[in-house]
Amino acid sequence: MIKRIKVGMASCGIAAGAGEVLELLKEIAQDKEVVEVGCIGHCYAEPLVEVETDSGNYIFEKVQPKEKDLQKLLELDEFTRFQPHNLRIDKERLLITSLAGKIVPTSLDEYKDHKGYEGLKKALEMKPDEIVEEVKTSKLRGRGGGGFPAGLKWSFLAAKESEQKVLICNADEGDPGAFMDRTLMESLPHQVIEGMLIGAKATGARKLFIYCRAEYPLAVKNLNIAIEQIEKEGLNIIDGEPVDIMVKEGAGAFVCGEETALIHSLEGKRGTPRYRPPYPTDYGFHGYPSAINNVETFANVPFIVREGGAKFAETGTENSTGTKLFALAGDLKYSGLVEVPMGISIGEVVYDIGGAEPGSVKAVQIGGPSGGCIPADHFDTPIDYDSLTSLGAIMGSGGLIVIGNDRCMVETARYFLEFTTRESCGKCTFCRIGTKRMLETLERITGGEGSTEDVELLSDLGNKIIRGSLCGLGQTAPNPVLSTLKYFNNEYLAHVEEGFCSAMECKALVDVFIDQETCIECGQCIKNCPVDCISEDYVVDNEVCTRCNSCIEVCPVDAIARIAKGGEVSVRN
Amino acid sequence: MSKEKVMEKSNLIKVLQTEQKKEGFISDAAIERIAEEFDLPVVEVEGVVSFYTQFKRVPPGKYQIMVCDGTACHIIGSTLILNWITDDLGIKDGETDEEGLFSLESVACLGCCSLAPVISINGKVYGKLDRKKLLKIIADYKKKEAAGA
Amino acid sequence: MSEIKLKIDGKEVIAPEGQTILEVARENGIEIPTMCHEDRISQTTSCFVCIVREGKNGNWMPSCSAIAQDGMEVDASSDAVRDMRRSALDLLLSEHTGDCEAPCTISCPAHARVEEYVRAGRDGDLRKTLEIAKERIPLPLSIGRVCPRFCEKDCRRNALDNEGVAINDFKRISADLYYDEYMEERKDLTGQKVAIIGSGPAGLAAAYFLRLEGVASDIYEKLPETGGMLRYGIPEYRLPKKTLDREIAHFEKMGGIKIFCNKELGKDIEIEELKKEYDAVIVAVGSWSATGMRTEGEELARGGIDWLEELARKNWQGEDPGETIVVGGGNTAMDCVRSALRLTDKPVHCMYRRTEKEMPAEQIEIDEAREEGAQFNFLTQPIKLRRENGKLVLECLRMELGEPDASGRRRPVPIEGSEFEVAADTVIAAIGQKTIAPDGLPTNKWGDVDVEEADCRAEGNVFAAGDCVSGPATVVEAVEGGRRTALGVLAYLKGEKCELPRQINVSRGHWQSLSEDDLVFLFDPEEMGRVPQRLIPLEERTSTFKEVSHTFTEEEIYEEGKRCIECSCTAKNDCRLKDYSEVYGAHPETFGGEKGEPTYNARHPHIILDNGKCVKCGICVKICSEVVNDYLLGFKNRGFKTKVETAFNTTLPENCTECGECVEACPVGALDWKKKKDE
Ligand SMILES: Cc1cc2nc3c(=O)[nH]c(=O)nc-3n(C[C@H](O)[C@H](O)[C@H](O)COP(=O)(O)O)c2cc1C
Ligand code: SF4
Ligand code: SF4
Ligand code: SF4
Ligand code: SF4
Ligand code: SF4
Ligand code: SF4
Ligand code: FES
Ligand code: FES
Ligand code: FES
Repeated sequence: MIKRIKVGMASCGIAAGAGEVLELLKEIAQDKEVVEVGCIGHCYAEPLVEVETDSGNYIFEKVQPKEKDLQKLLELDEFTRFQPHNLRIDKERLLITSLAGKIVPTSLDEYKDHKGYEGLKKALEMKPDEIVEEVKTSKLRGRGGGGFPAGLKWSFLAAKESEQKVLICNADEGDPGAFMDRTLMESLPHQVIEGMLIGAKATGARKLFIYCRAEYPLAVKNLNIAIEQIEKEGLNIIDGEPVDIMVKEGAGAFVCGEETALIHSLEGKRGTPRYRPPYPTDYGFHGYPSAINNVETFANVPFIVREGGAKFAETGTENSTGTKLFALAGDLKYSGLVEVPMGISIGEVVYDIGGAEPGSVKAVQIGGPSGGCIPADHFDTPIDYDSLTSLGAIMGSGGLIVIGNDRCMVETARYFLEFTTRESCGKCTFCRIGTKRMLETLERITGGEGSTEDVELLSDLGNKIIRGSLCGLGQTAPNPVLSTLKYFNNEYLAHVEEGFCSAMECKALVDVFIDQETCIECGQCIKNCPVDCISEDYVVDNEVCTRCNSCIEVCPVDAIARIAKGGEVSVRN
Repeated sequence: MSKEKVMEKSNLIKVLQTEQKKEGFISDAAIERIAEEFDLPVVEVEGVVSFYTQFKRVPPGKYQIMVCDGTACHIIGSTLILNWITDDLGIKDGETDEEGLFSLESVACLGCCSLAPVISINGKVYGKLDRKKLLKIIADYKKKEAAGA
Repeated sequence: MSEIKLKIDGKEVIAPEGQTILEVARENGIEIPTMCHEDRISQTTSCFVCIVREGKNGNWMPSCSAIAQDGMEVDASSDAVRDMRRSALDLLLSEHTGDCEAPCTISCPAHARVEEYVRAGRDGDLRKTLEIAKERIPLPLSIGRVCPRFCEKDCRRNALDNEGVAINDFKRISADLYYDEYMEERKDLTGQKVAIIGSGPAGLAAAYFLRLEGVASDIYEKLPETGGMLRYGIPEYRLPKKTLDREIAHFEKMGGIKIFCNKELGKDIEIEELKKEYDAVIVAVGSWSATGMRTEGEELARGGIDWLEELARKNWQGEDPGETIVVGGGNTAMDCVRSALRLTDKPVHCMYRRTEKEMPAEQIEIDEAREEGAQFNFLTQPIKLRRENGKLVLECLRMELGEPDASGRRRPVPIEGSEFEVAADTVIAAIGQKTIAPDGLPTNKWGDVDVEEADCRAEGNVFAAGDCVSGPATVVEAVEGGRRTALGVLAYLKGEKCELPRQINVSRGHWQSLSEDDLVFLFDPEEMGRVPQRLIPLEERTSTFKEVSHTFTEEEIYEEGKRCIECSCTAKNDCRLKDYSEVYGAHPETFGGEKGEPTYNARHPHIILDNGKCVKCGICVKICSEVVNDYLLGFKNRGFKTKVETAFNTTLPENCTECGECVEACPVGALDWKKKKDE
């Protein structure tokens, strides 16, 4: 007997069409309880629907909003059942996302049914320094990028005497390829809030903020519902005093993820960072001592207090304990959110969990615009804070992009630098102007006008920007360039010396070519070319062609391809 | 006492967001009015508005197309997507067409990387796009508009 | 408060706890540059020009904001630190738009403070004009007449109405009026003495600048009278010799400069002896040997410069040359053509291989020659000269223009079978001149004296200056050469290394390359064309050697002065970006790239806000909001597009004139008083 039907309605699901599925399900299964849940992390299989029955739960993937399909689903048709591949199940370790997609995010009761707020209950009975000690024992390090020990940060705030102390959850998640925090907030808002409340008890903070990226409306909604629920139940009362929790929306500025910029933004100012020290724990929101932690950091806390720091530290490595969430995307089969134990190798994540084809992958980009590219021959490196840093990448917040063989590394570096240049707050010289100059240099290189001096300039200026920037944005902005320079120097040199982009990605270095022998003269390319540059006898005028790829996309027999500019005629793929 | 007022200023961004939601953009007059409400210098409010990309100073098109240029989408070809839209609608990144119908903007990750490449139109997300799918989506909006008008 | 101990640049220092590294350094006399630091306001930490490095952990820190810690070892001056500072400045310069100096000042080979002397003239103080001009140009009477006016060609005013300001005429009138009465400050004579060979512009300038510093000189001149090319190469109608006498008389009035004529090197005097007798020797013998036509019969032609010299010796009373052909397209050729026109009623031709466009002569010379009746034969190349029946017959070829050559001018190539002949009474080859370097001095491949770039020294205590170093050039270039050499000699006499101060100059670009938007004005420019130069009647120009052009009247010059748009930066004498860049070796061209989106607000009557020059230090914003309590200026946008403006880019209130705090505090010329302070 069907007990209830759960539709994955996190952002990823909605984008894949879960909304329509939900509507239709509600219609055709009026007698059943249909609920919205969060994301189980298997985004590649969305929309996902889980049916709870007496005899167990069944998940269905890629559900289409068609009555026939849904009927089948209600009949528990074996055919469309979702079965995550075994390797992934083996390698994942769900410490904090075990409830994601399983429970209704906005149901306090359901959260409680799954040990929710037990950690808080326990914490309320502990002394603040006992909690701090427990977190120290867990060796939990900040998941927002820097990896600063959370217990230590809390101890700083706890030690402060002040009429007001502030605890801030950094939910700005600005890395353009990361969505771990979003998933946590959408799917498990109570778990994040519980972590924060435990933090409040531990540090004496009585004013709590969640600074959430503006582009996450569902997260904001779910968090606000959750806050309302706990306030109603008085769960926010610590030592007899209600703690104020407020969700504040950012307004579109990556740099506001930086602590001091975030505080300025909370204060209603321009989100420019300032020099540290003083650190926020000494001088934070309106001058009050403030501690800032990442969403995922807070989401780890309930487990630590509930099960004990030592238990937590069993997972992971000596210096990087616990698990880490990664947003897997790029050139691989199973993209989505994964939770893996620290210390797992990059290769295991990319190949075993992500299902990427061995041999098809050139590198991974870890840590987003602050991180770096790690080439495939380093894939046995364990994922922990220190190993990644030693390779020139960083753990970062958890974006992990798989880069296939047919991507240009120079273009990839250019992309990240374009992002940081756009997001620079414009305050300090090296970042404001330096990143712009680096970007211009990269544009010269991808535009076929680079020189070997340009390549040298990139590394010289890059290193100077790292040293001479005020905040983490500038201090890490050159990483994607420096790491690709280190591991893919040959690609840079091919661009500047031979005018050759092996990935055929850099427009200025390729021509579009129609292979007359394969072409069946269907005329599709001619019809679709926006600039009418394909002649009646199927020859591309490359002077006019904008390399828009329209023809390549429509050609039914793959007769069209990009080739090296002016070079030998050889069709890629 | 003075703390009271300072605390208020921290609502500035919220108030600006509400204004933008209501009007679609933030006008000079709104800046002046809000500055007065908060007792802040006009130039400071203007500075805050111009810092955050969320705030628009001109009215956007009826349909706001956002092309995701997050890492996953970029790697899979968001540049082509942007170019195809530009070819189709004649507007570039950051522009609005003459009729005020479509505006085009590239944004960082829309949060559904596994569906890359992704665009959203007035908040509705379309994923796994290729050229054909994309042009059909836009054509549908145009048709809808033609029918409505 | 407790004290801490640290090291800065290896120096042990003790400081109270809580001070920034910058404060500690300053109190201990260690200079660290700052752009965004201001004592009265909270720290912004934006420029990173103040960067230092902690020696033990290698961390880089902005010294204005980093608190000094016990045991630190701060590196505030090593090469690595200086390199970082230079890069910060390079980056700031790369987005900077402005003109430190006005284009006229830049293009003047002598680097006279042109804008300043034009302004003084416009404001009615022509004596000051002379004073300023003479800082670099000790021959204002001559140069005021014969300079090819490099400055006017680059003058920004051209962008408005295609005519530069009549800059040189400011010099001329100021000298005409005040030259005799003005005597510059001179240092007391030191007792040192220099021998100068040649009394042309380079020799005179060297003597002048040596004398200003208290060094005496004896000038030896081979010809019967002083002045070199000024007297023997430039025709009377351009520079009356009476004027030249007046100019040179001043040198002897300065005390310590003596000129001996009819003293020829190798005959009457010997370098080896001068070297012993004097503390130093300056060779300024010019470039006097006329180049031949390199054709058969070339010996039948007169050398241009020789012909002029002979004329000068005859006091411009030479005999009628009859029908004359002058071969060549430079200024000497024009001088020959126009002199010949004054001596004969027969036709005078100028024969040149290329077209008028390629002629190296000044356009005004060509135009005036034409007015006086010169006939031009372009695209014509002489190939043979012979005498026939008492006439000279010149065989020529017609040419056409081919591909550009190394100089960028299109190379003339002969047209096959186009030979023809012309006859004349006199043929003058004004093709060029060569230097005949005194024996024993090192020479380069052109035959010019080879000197060290830095101090103009040829060997031992022998220096050289002017055309004999550069090859034939202009008077103003010779004067600059003389000055540079004087600096070299002065340093040598003091036993120091000669180092010219490093100067950087941000420039918006040449007026021809500027778009409408690039043109910015401190004040609305007056709409008026250039005051025309008045000339003597044409009949007199073809029959006498009277000076052709009149000096402007005072009224005319005041009018003309209003056309100057005062291009240089208001802050050029008081700009930290410029100063530090000079000290640290930063340069505007190190990084190319896009400039900011400059907004230029000159609407306030007294204050200018030019974002192209803003370094985003935030000082003004904070001065106004934290010190003055007004908050009229603020940051807008972010990233590379960040700028400082008033609300909605309106004009600052009038009463900011009374406050002016931000204006005074701005480290560069982004916020400044419109009125320029000289010096
Ligand atoms: C430019 C920049 C962007 C950042 N963005 C984020 C972010 O989106 N989320 C986050 O948690 N931390 C971000 N951080 C890191 C935070 O500054 C801070 O280190 C972190 O929130 C501390 O929390 P944790 O110790 O729990 O990691 C960013 C830092 C920089 C310099
Ligand atoms: S490093 Fe970049 S983002 Fe950070 S303060 Fe400097 S300019 Fe702003
Ligand atoms: S790539 Fe685009 S522009 Fe070029 S030929 Fe194909 S359709 Fe035409
Ligand atoms: S502000 Fe300084 S660097 Fe800029 S133009 Fe003026 S003097 Fe030159
Ligand atoms: S307008 Fe004045 S300042 Fe500018 S170049 Fe001409 S003379 Fe010099
Ligand atoms: S002059 Fe005007 S803008 Fe400048 S500090 Fe004074 S009041 Fe403020
Ligand atoms: S205008 Fe203001 S911010 Fe710009 S350089 Fe001057 S003082 Fe600094
Ligand atoms: S990168 Fe496009 S949705 Fe994330
Ligand atoms: S950063 Fe120190 S003076 Fe500017
Ligand atoms: S250019 Fe300066 S005097 Fe002629």
